Amino acid sequence: MKSSNMERNKSEKIPDMDFCRTEYGMYAPEVTSMAQIKQSDADSLAGVGVHVRGHERSGTMILRNTYTLCAQSESKGLELLPIAAALKKYEWLGDKYYFKAVPAELDEATKRCAGQKEPHGYFIRVQKGARVTLPCQAAFYMASENITQMVHNVVILEDDSELQLITGCVTQHDIKSGLHTAVEEQYIGKNARLTSTMVHGWGSDVVVYPRAGTIVEAGGRYESNYISLRPAGQIISNPQTWLNGKGASAKYLTIILGSPGSTIDIGGDVYLNADGATAELAHRGVCTGGKMHQKGMLIGNASCKAHVDCAGMLLNEGKGGFIESIPGIKAHHPDARLSHEASIGKIAPEQVEYLQSRGMEEREAISMLIRGFLGSDIEGLGTELDARIAEIAELAGHGEG
Amino acid sequence: MKKNTNSLEIRELCVQVDGKEILRNLNLAIPEGEVHALLGLNGSGKTSLMMVIMGFARYKVTSGQIFFEGKDITGLDITERAKLGIGIAEQRPPTIQGVKLKHILYYIVDKKFQQSDEFALMVKAAAMEKFLDRDINEGLSGGEIKRAELLQLLAMQPKFSMMDEPDSGVDLESLKLVGNLINMIFSRDSCRRINKKAGLMITHNGSILNYIQADKAHVMLEGQIGCSGNPHVILDTINKCGYEACARCMRRVAR
Ligand SMILES: Nc1ncnc2c1ncn2[C@@H]1O[C@H](COP(=O)(O)OP(=O)(O)OP(=O)(O)O)[C@@H](O)[C@H]1O
Ligand SMILES: [Mg+2]
Repeated sequence: MKSSNMERNKSEKIPDMDFCRTEYGMYAPEVTSMAQIKQSDADSLAGVGVHVRGHERSGTMILRNTYTLCAQSESKGLELLPIAAALKKYEWLGDKYYFKAVPAELDEATKRCAGQKEPHGYFIRVQKGARVTLPCQAAFYMASENITQMVHNVVILEDDSELQLITGCVTQHDIKSGLHTAVEEQYIGKNARLTSTMVHGWGSDVVVYPRAGTIVEAGGRYESNYISLRPAGQIISNPQTWLNGKGASAKYLTIILGSPGSTIDIGGDVYLNADGATAELAHRGVCTGGKMHQKGMLIGNASCKAHVDCAGMLLNEGKGGFIESIPGIKAHHPDARLSHEASIGKIAPEQVEYLQSRGMEEREAISMLIRGFLGSDIEGLGTELDARIAEIAELAGHGEG
Repeated sequence: MKKNTNSLEIRELCVQVDGKEILRNLNLAIPEGEVHALLGLNGSGKTSLMMVIMGFARYKVTSGQIFFEGKDITGLDITERAKLGIGIAEQRPPTIQGVKLKHILYYIVDKKFQQSDEFALMVKAAAMEKFLDRDINEGLSGGEIKRAELLQLLAMQPKFSMMDEPDSGVDLESLKLVGNLINMIFSRDSCRRINKKAGLMITHNGSILNYIQADKAHVMLEGQIGCSGNPHVILDTINKCGYEACARCMRRVAR
């Protein structure tokens, strides 16, 4: 369980982690309950898939700045607690799970997280055999300028259980800067199934360092959809997944809508350690300026099958912007079937014209093409994603002709 | 009495593609309610004419004008022309990954119509029920592409429809279906002339003319309309004597 590919392909330098910008924990919380959440903030949260009111959810956790507004399960078989409370309640959590899928001494981000007095974040456990049908939601919400959120989340799906998790990370609309680090550890038991959808909408200068580790046992499945609607100043993330049991599987879809001035580096290492393990990694990036690195590494240690696919659409390089795609595969076993592909292109003018001949305006045509490129049906995110794509299409339309 | 105006009129049109002159001083008039056929050798410029009428940027008008319902549309972009009521079923439409046939159809027709029986019947008429969820033109056979194109036209109900070889590579069975679709697009089943739509159809063998009556045919020769007249007479001549006969005839006219 060691982070793998530090030595590989450093063709574009990724900036060093930057911890100096923000202060931590200086703020007395001005909002201390769900009822106090302002409508404008509720709207921001809804924009990343988290609904404060009027939606059926199996559980809700909201961290505002560094204050946990709520952490509550509404569903049988689902346990949802603030991580600090869970550590007190369950000794085994610290012994077997806490900082076990992500090592505390991995890097500066994890070290700082491990060093804080009381961790923030959630503990989720789905009991053996429990199929939680309604989605469980969690929000990490920055409402003040220049604060630091250091989050530690642990998700445990016991054997044969099922959970759909929506995590939204967002800054209040006028907040520009901040630091968000997250340690995310996920344990997926035998034949259990975790679908995680994470939506990010950050202020333009926020720095984000997620550190994720997921362990999947026999027959288990992990599906991750990560969508960055409004990228931060910097996001560096390289989630690690270990498919340790027979027939374990993982599927990652990463969608990044870039913007000028941002640096986004998202990888994903999947270790296929058991026979019959399968993995799919797909990156979709739309660059309108800013730097975008798409990576992914599949390591085949058994008779397994996996594919990594990076696709970028470069609409506008802006000042020194780019897309770099580095899909990687590595086999240690003769029956590992691994493949990769990568492509970067622009929007084809003849496709735009074709759609225009059906009556669409140029920007509508570009929107439809971007939507198609990203994969058209992303659940629960319709209007926000459409609005953001329309914004990008507007820019792209002006860039052309 | 109502004056018989032109749906489409082209005057002295010169067109270049990638710097190469493809249409030379072309003149053409299609009156309201009339459907004309366009014949001509491979490479004579038929597709280029349709593309320039639709407004595709690659086809550059160097001189001349295009009028639609009396309005000069030479300077309009594709969207504007489509909104005025011009539509095209292309010979070689692009494939677009991730964009499904239904996405385009649902753009064209509103929510209410999408759920109507009439819409379902349209899709059925084109035998495209199974293709709504397929990426546009991705992996479609030649005949399926034609049907997908015609279905989009049918949904748009343009006042002026252009079809580029709707009958090429279509089997006999499907030809009937395609003929029916085209009749629907032109509202040819209507007895009232006023409801009838106008259009232009490119065909090589004229087989589609057994299903839909064209009012007139034109022969394209080296980027010009060489000859115009009764579709059956012209087709007959070409079948018997080949396009060379048209060329000879044209040279005579020129002299
Ligand atoms: N992009 C291009 N660059 C150069 N020449 C072109 C281009 N597009 C078309 N042409 C040329 O213009 C001429 C007319 O082409 P067009 O496609 O209009 O012919 P057509 O009459 O439709 O032929 P067909 O019956 O084979 O479909 C041809 O010689 C063709 O090679
Ligand atoms: Mg042609």
